[in-house]
Amino acid sequence: MEAVSAAQIIFIVVALLTVATTFLVVTVRNLIHAALWLVATLFGIAVIFVLLDAGFMATVQIVLYIGAIAILIVFAVMLTRRVMQDVGPQSNENWWLGTIVAAVFFAAISTLLWSIRWPALPGAVVGDTVLALGRSLVDPNQYVIPFEVASVMLIIALIGSITLALPGKQSE
Amino acid sequence: MTISNLNLVGTLPLLFLSAWACGLLLVDLWIPGDRKHMTGWMALSGFAITFFWVSSNLGQREEAFGGMLAIDGFSNLLHLVFLGSGILATLLALNYLKQHDIERGEFYPLMLFSVVGMMIMSMAKDLIVVFLALEMLSIPLYVLVGFARTRADSEESALKYFLLGAFSSAFQVYGIALIYGATQATGFAAIGDAVAISGASPLLLAGIGLMLVGLAFKVSAVPLHMWTPDVYQGAPSVVTGFMSVGAKAAGFAAIVRIFFSAFHSLAADWAPVIVLFAVLSTVIGNVAAISQTSIKRMLAFSSIAHAGYVFVAIVPGGYGALSDFAASAVIFYLAAYGLTNIGAWSVVIAVDHADGMGSDISNYAGLARRSPGLAAAMTLFMLSLTGLPPTMGFVAKFYVFRAALAAGYTWLVVVGVVTVLISAYYYLRVIVVMWMNSGDGQVVTPRALNFTVGVTAAATLVLGLLPGPLMAIVESSVRGLF
Amino acid sequence: MIPTTYYLALSAILFSIGVIGVLVRRNAIVIFMSIELMLNSANLAFVAFAREFGTLDGQLMVFFVMTVAAAEVAVGLALIVAIFRSKASIDVDAVNLLKG
Repeated sequence: MEAVSAAQIIFIVVALLTVATTFLVVTVRNLIHAALWLVATLFGIAVIFVLLDAGFMATVQIVLYIGAIAILIVFAVMLTRRVMQDVGPQSNENWWLGTIVAAVFFAAISTLLWSIRWPALPGAVVGDTVLALGRSLVDPNQYVIPFEVASVMLIIALIGSITLALPGKQSE
Repeated sequence: MTISNLNLVGTLPLLFLSAWACGLLLVDLWIPGDRKHMTGWMALSGFAITFFWVSSNLGQREEAFGGMLAIDGFSNLLHLVFLGSGILATLLALNYLKQHDIERGEFYPLMLFSVVGMMIMSMAKDLIVVFLALEMLSIPLYVLVGFARTRADSEESALKYFLLGAFSSAFQVYGIALIYGATQATGFAAIGDAVAISGASPLLLAGIGLMLVGLAFKVSAVPLHMWTPDVYQGAPSVVTGFMSVGAKAAGFAAIVRIFFSAFHSLAADWAPVIVLFAVLSTVIGNVAAISQTSIKRMLAFSSIAHAGYVFVAIVPGGYGALSDFAASAVIFYLAAYGLTNIGAWSVVIAVDHADGMGSDISNYAGLARRSPGLAAAMTLFMLSLTGLPPTMGFVAKFYVFRAALAAGYTWLVVVGVVTVLISAYYYLRVIVVMWMNSGDGQVVTPRALNFTVGVTAAATLVLGLLPGPLMAIVESSVRGLF
Repeated sequence: MIPTTYYLALSAILFSIGVIGVLVRRNAIVIFMSIELMLNSANLAFVAFAREFGTLDGQLMVFFVMTVAAAEVAVGLALIVAIFRSKASIDVDAVNLLKG
């Protein structure tokens, strides 16, 4: 048993913090607080990405998830502000069923994961990640079609959300 | 590493339709608000051109985009189902949107995009493409379901569909992650190779199960069906008719391709799960449909039951030589269900218009006297959904049950036949109400709707009496694929 | 080095908490945030596997999952805001989420 390295300490601390913030996201009553805890969780996952030698993905995680998605959620919370003062029960009557389902799911997955013995970690570091990632998105033999589908999907999402959110013409 | 690996020529119909949809978005900007049906006609011509383009070249066997897409008889035939449902739904939408005062140009491009997503889904040979295509077809559907913003239940059902859809696709992504972890691959061929070497690990099976959650949700199989009745009822009826056929067919296309190619050697592991889906969906769908008084909810539970029958056809897919037979049965069943179901929904739309709140089965009283043609067509559709001759639905059920029998699932066929008998009760009740009871109110049907009802009724009848040629086409296109 | 299992265990925990959030909470925005947590935990699993195998494929999956998440967030929040405008409530019990 080798001595505990810095990476391991960081992992344990960040993992515990991330689990804690995740738990807060789904439990706190105030929606703005939930959204801020979500930002903290997303940041924790970005740190974990760095530990996993995926620095570029960590950057994308921060820019895209925290910078765009989480902020959009905060906007949505603010646009629907009155709901934040809701005092009624925050969980539905079947909350125990949901918890049981999730607990069973977690027990099944974690026993499964612990049963797997991974081979010794390969030291294979994949060179310049950004270059390789970019190349494989436009390489005809690799990820061209997912890339194209994803971009068309973003157009659809754009059109769709405008269609939904635009005030109706009934007022004329 | 050349551009020819993309095989752009082979995917031209697909590229054409997506370009048409993007173009239509722009053109729509110059179409004045009171003439949005022009956008509809342009969408219709895009669908029609692609339909004839695809049908002119059914027998292709090609790959595109570095092996991530397959262009073959299976995908081409399903493209015809998607495009056909797109054509019929657009025809219905031309009048429906105007009458409900929700006519907006974005409706048609969103429908085109959804069909493009379905087409990609049926061609996908990589789990990541399946996932993206599923999202590409779902996102427009979320918007279309909520399109009737004058009615609160439309938006609510859209939110319900969206949240549960996103929830199930999260399971699907996690499943794909686990499959990737178990096989180091996401391409069907590579997964198949890895599975052949290492066999079924618990990690892989867990991944397959989670992935199936996402797909079973889309086809509304029990126990992932809770959204179906509310969404089918709340969505604009044209959208319901479209998604109950298109989205279901696309989901089954992906299930067939994944399980028949990537996980073919694991049939002993997945067949029991598929059998479970089949039994639960047919039994619960049909039993729950009996007590419905709204025809929309009844058709929703009927669509759950029909998903079960398609699962019956998928079960034999794991038995080596039977895969082609099973795939043909799936295609034939989906085509029959598609034609009949869109026909039935167009009758629902017609009656809905006449009576305002006309989605109750009692509103169909005396339809035979008020509008004999519509009632005759609806009778035909109900017979076909039940699976009685002389309709296409009968041939399709016969085909499905024959495939299951060939694989030795006699008890499953018995369950199937019993549930068909149960379903006869509520389908035939509609016929009885139409012909025996008396009611009033004039049904006015626009020409496009009459055309849709006429085409689907004629096809249901003709293909029920003479299924031979279509069956031959389906079987020859699919032969040797799986 | 930290074994891959640890990362996967973390992703399983986050995923399960997300599932709890979706099944237990009533507010549509919280449900939506929980779904984002689930997608994130899948991403974590992808990156962990990618490091384990020494390939980039897993990281590319993350790319696409993030795109999908972005598309979903746009449409989903537009829907939520639209419903809020017409009903002034985004409590999904009012929307009857799990009732068939």
